[in-house]
Amino acid sequence: MMESPTVLRDYNAPAARSLRERDPARGVRWGRFALIAVALTFMAAFLFLPLLVVFTQALAKGAGAYLAAVSDPMAWAAIKLTLMVAAIAVPMNLVFGVVSAWTITKFQFRGKSTLITLIDLPFAVSPVIAGLTYILIFGAHGWFGAYLQAHDIRIVFAVPGIVLATIFVTFPFVARELIPVMQAQGKDDEETALSLGANGWQVFWHVTLPNIRWGLLYGVLLCNARAMGEFGAVSVVSGHIRGLTNTMPLHVEILYNEYNYAAAFAVASLLALLALLTLAGKSFLEWRQPELRHGARLKRRNSEK
Amino acid sequence: MSITLRGVSKQFGEFAAVDDVDLDIPTGALLALLGPSGCGKTTLLRIIAGLEAPERGQVLFDGRDATLWPIRDRKVGFVFQNYALFRHMSVFDNVAFGLKVKARRERPPSAEIRRKVQSLLELVQLDWAGDRYPSQLSGGQKQRVALARALAVDPEVLLLDEPFGALDAQVRHELRRWLRRLHTELKFTSIFVTHDQQEAIEVADTIVVLNRGRIEQSGIPGDVYDLPRSAYVHRFLGQVNELRVQWHEGRAHIGPIDITGDPALDSYGSDRIALIRPHEIDVGGEAVGWLATVRDVRVIGPIVRLELCADGRPPNEPLEAEVSRERFDLERFHIGQRVGVRFRRWQVYPTGALGGGGLGGITRASAPREAVVA
Repeated sequence: MMESPTVLRDYNAPAARSLRERDPARGVRWGRFALIAVALTFMAAFLFLPLLVVFTQALAKGAGAYLAAVSDPMAWAAIKLTLMVAAIAVPMNLVFGVVSAWTITKFQFRGKSTLITLIDLPFAVSPVIAGLTYILIFGAHGWFGAYLQAHDIRIVFAVPGIVLATIFVTFPFVARELIPVMQAQGKDDEETALSLGANGWQVFWHVTLPNIRWGLLYGVLLCNARAMGEFGAVSVVSGHIRGLTNTMPLHVEILYNEYNYAAAFAVASLLALLALLTLAGKSFLEWRQPELRHGARLKRRNSEK
Repeated sequence: MSITLRGVSKQFGEFAAVDDVDLDIPTGALLALLGPSGCGKTTLLRIIAGLEAPERGQVLFDGRDATLWPIRDRKVGFVFQNYALFRHMSVFDNVAFGLKVKARRERPPSAEIRRKVQSLLELVQLDWAGDRYPSQLSGGQKQRVALARALAVDPEVLLLDEPFGALDAQVRHELRRWLRRLHTELKFTSIFVTHDQQEAIEVADTIVVLNRGRIEQSGIPGDVYDLPRSAYVHRFLGQVNELRVQWHEGRAHIGPIDITGDPALDSYGSDRIALIRPHEIDVGGEAVGWLATVRDVRVIGPIVRLELCADGRPPNEPLEAEVSRERFDLERFHIGQRVGVRFRRWQVYPTGALGGGGLGGITRASAPREAVVA
């Protein structure tokens, strides 16, 4: 917005100056500073400081110790397992999440509210209990234990159990992120596309997906972060077999319990790095979006006026 | 394409949104479904489009039963109230969507698509906006993009849900005229939903007034306006003054005006109401007819609206009268002035019909009465 020159001149007049000193928005401005200060302090103390501690502790014994801890074969096995689990769990939850959000928001059916409640179950239940249920179902003394043993299928204390537990714990992220977005958008776009002759797949691919992609991306990132960082449920079903069923968080705990702080923090720093990388990836994708850039350009143009 | 509805009904839980509707819409009609919110007009439109399935009844397209046809096969263009433009696509891609999603063997070559989209954008006067995004357009422009997109697939029926609802008055007026012209040029069957009686009268060839899921009356706009079949329709199509018929010594009156002999007054003492439109009231400076005091004067361009407090009527129930600007300039009505009121025309309805059609079948009223100048 441009202020007209007359207004600018008036500001320098004595009467106008005293008016400015009695600016009715002054109190509001102080309130704004205070709020920003509180928010920044809080973020520094609870978000930035821990991150800093992780990295300083990791490098406390020098770069050599850091590299040794990170390149330890057991650590490598944990890293690979963690990435693999995330690579299975996240795409599956992506599909489940989209399907359940679609079902809930676009159709009317009996038992819908029950389904919505069920989606929240993994958030409501402690991850340890989630892990224990898998032991009860698939463990040696569980419902399917005898059958699985007879056919030599290992689920609990093996990779499949870890994947299952991770999927359970991270299930709500995508659906929870998408349901409000899709609810707000309603069905008009989809119905329009249908009336224009699109088939179901075309509607999803060309209309629904572009509409929900940011919510979807965000849900996937959260889901991924949790999948890589999950401790409780995975701890119960993993059996902590070094080099075989140890994920990164479990590995960190083992090292920590062995008083090997530098190594524990070194692996922890890798986890933190993975988290930072996903965030960077999200920012990059946002930046690359043509119409977002276009929106930013518009905004700039408007502010220049 | 002609459309016929036979006994179409749709419930939402306990609520009958559309209740046993029969309707014939000939090819090339421009029809308005008119009614207040909740009267079932949008549901009816969605049933015709195939976005909603009726529980009972049939929808016929050109005489063929289309009740179960999916929306894709109906050759129907549907324009939503909020336009439902695809936000992530440019205007060009929005209009091209219906052509691009066609199966490979039906899909025109891309040069042909380009040509067609361009000509549609010219038709809606937006040929300059092809690479804009919907967020950069005004409401009226978005509406025209939505129309162009619907027309791209050569629909035989165009269905519009409150097409001008979200636009300001100037743009609305312009778009109404434009839609009429478009309809005359392209000759498809158009049905639009509106709650605005003026819009329906201005645009449509036929209006269908709906009430609680039923058709209250249908016909050409002038007829429905002049000969409403129920108090509900009468009230819905414009302003009305309502006067209860009073019985005194065997004669019926509205105010001091004797209306005994009106065919709608079938028995002595029957509970009836007379509806009179503001422009059907004559106001004169001389003290003849019903005496009244002018309480407010509003000059609205070519007409002048007077609020009159008629003698013997409670002051919170003023009569509203409209006189022409010319007459006003002659008479110079002013607040506080004593005037004489006469009714040129009125129509009597049973009071049971006040809520509209819901109470029994006796809603049919008499033909409107012209005052006999004594």
